[in-house]
Amino acid sequence: MSKFLQLALGILAAIGGFVDIGDLVFNVVAGATFQYQLLWVVVIGVVGIIVYSEMCGRVAAVSKRPVFDAIRERLGFGVGLGALISSEIVNLMTLAAEVGGMALALQLLSGLPYRVLIVVGIVALAIAIWVLPFEWIERVFGYGGLCLLVFAVAAIKLHPDWGHVANGFVPQMHASEPLVFAYFVVGLLGAAMTPYEVYFYSSGVVEDGWTPKDLGMNKVNSMVGYGLGGFLSFSLMIAAGALFYPLGIEPQFIGTVAMGAQVPLGTIGLLLALIGILFAVGGAAIDTCFSGAYNLAQFFGWEWGKSRRPRDASRFTLAWGVLLALALLVIMTGIDPVMLTEYAVIFSVVALPLTYIPILLVANDSSYMGRYSNGRLANVFGLIYLVVILVVAITAIPLMILTHQGQG
Amino acid sequence: MSKPEQIDLGLGLLDHQLVDSEGRRCGNVDDLELEGLQEGKPRVSAILVGPPVWRGRGRLGRLAAFIARGETVRVPWEEVDEVAAAVQLKKTARELRLGRGDDRARKWVEWIPGS
Repeated sequence: MSKFLQLALGILAAIGGFVDIGDLVFNVVAGATFQYQLLWVVVIGVVGIIVYSEMCGRVAAVSKRPVFDAIRERLGFGVGLGALISSEIVNLMTLAAEVGGMALALQLLSGLPYRVLIVVGIVALAIAIWVLPFEWIERVFGYGGLCLLVFAVAAIKLHPDWGHVANGFVPQMHASEPLVFAYFVVGLLGAAMTPYEVYFYSSGVVEDGWTPKDLGMNKVNSMVGYGLGGFLSFSLMIAAGALFYPLGIEPQFIGTVAMGAQVPLGTIGLLLALIGILFAVGGAAIDTCFSGAYNLAQFFGWEWGKSRRPRDASRFTLAWGVLLALALLVIMTGIDPVMLTEYAVIFSVVALPLTYIPILLVANDSSYMGRYSNGRLANVFGLIYLVVILVVAITAIPLMILTHQGQG
Repeated sequence: MSKPEQIDLGLGLLDHQLVDSEGRRCGNVDDLELEGLQEGKPRVSAILVGPPVWRGRGRLGRLAAFIARGETVRVPWEEVDEVAAAVQLKKTARELRLGRGDDRARKWVEWIPGS
């Protein structure tokens, strides 16, 4: 395969893989509540994930060390273990929410009972993980997730006031409901910068055996892949802002999200939206499941990787199996996936600094990185985002309590 | 053999990944054994691996050591081939009695077709 084609395929998969249930929920609800006024936050979140995924991808390509190795090395055993436990809790919540999202999309497509479809979803994920090679997992789910581009068409068809849309890219506060607005700012940043993305990305770089020669690829992949992934977030928010905001509808179900494409485009819009949601959250389910197993294995020094035979990385294999089983138990209780998503995103925001600070430290360590350590640009952005991350981490829980999860 | 001239034990060695002579990941540097502190000529004599060692690694470490089973494995410094981002060992994990958790867990996995 030519290098260019490979790059293009990788980028397509990254775009389709960007959106998960957290992005779906927060972008659509933000659009329905504040129309286009929060678009600027998505820009900040997307630049943040580009900065840090490029950094952790570079660390992984140069030193072969993924993020959780760096976390333990820099924070030590005790604090590192705290980071591990919190990341596992958030991973499990996110995984369960993604599985619930899959089941809801399947339910709208098939009409079968929700709990049956949860089991179908889990079994399908387990088989996909077991049978498909690493890059095909990324591609199958990434390409399926590209169906979400239907929301871009929908957004245009809904004829938003483009002046208002453009105005949404200017950072602003909301005068009458500042706290609810701030809650959405934090949630959107959390959804865009979810830590499992960097765990998964950096481990994937090690799995694919990237070397310093692939650093160009790393840069393009994170910039274009996440950048265009952010484009999907804009589409979701603009469609929701044009459709739900004027009607005063607050979407509380995955089905309502899909209506954003159904109303302007009819049945084909609905179908594409549901298939896109199914693959996007399904892919994210695998990412979170693997992240959980990667983190555990890396923290304790076990053999790990999809590129290893399952029997050679036996504890890693058991870890993802157990995580899937636990997610099944959590979501089978009947807990609302949308609510679970909100909690997962807000809790992940609190744990953000424990993930991003070690990445920044290691990327600056020349004994680790040689001549590939951070340049000035990466450090300026890295430090700016560190401040952003610390502020949102401190304010996330108080805002969630004060606003009753954005209900005002 | 390449071991760096100067190394910060806390940052450059402790908690790093151990890799055996066949490229297998087989534990982390959980602690270090130092010798010659009294004589004023301290040197690292061994790498220590295993749950009991976590007891000395903070409050959460003590809790983890209490919950986890396993024994301490001592890897003499002479068995270390190279210290880079990972610690490369001269022998296989089996010879050094490392990575035995993966050996034990194998029976849970190897019955599945395609494992």
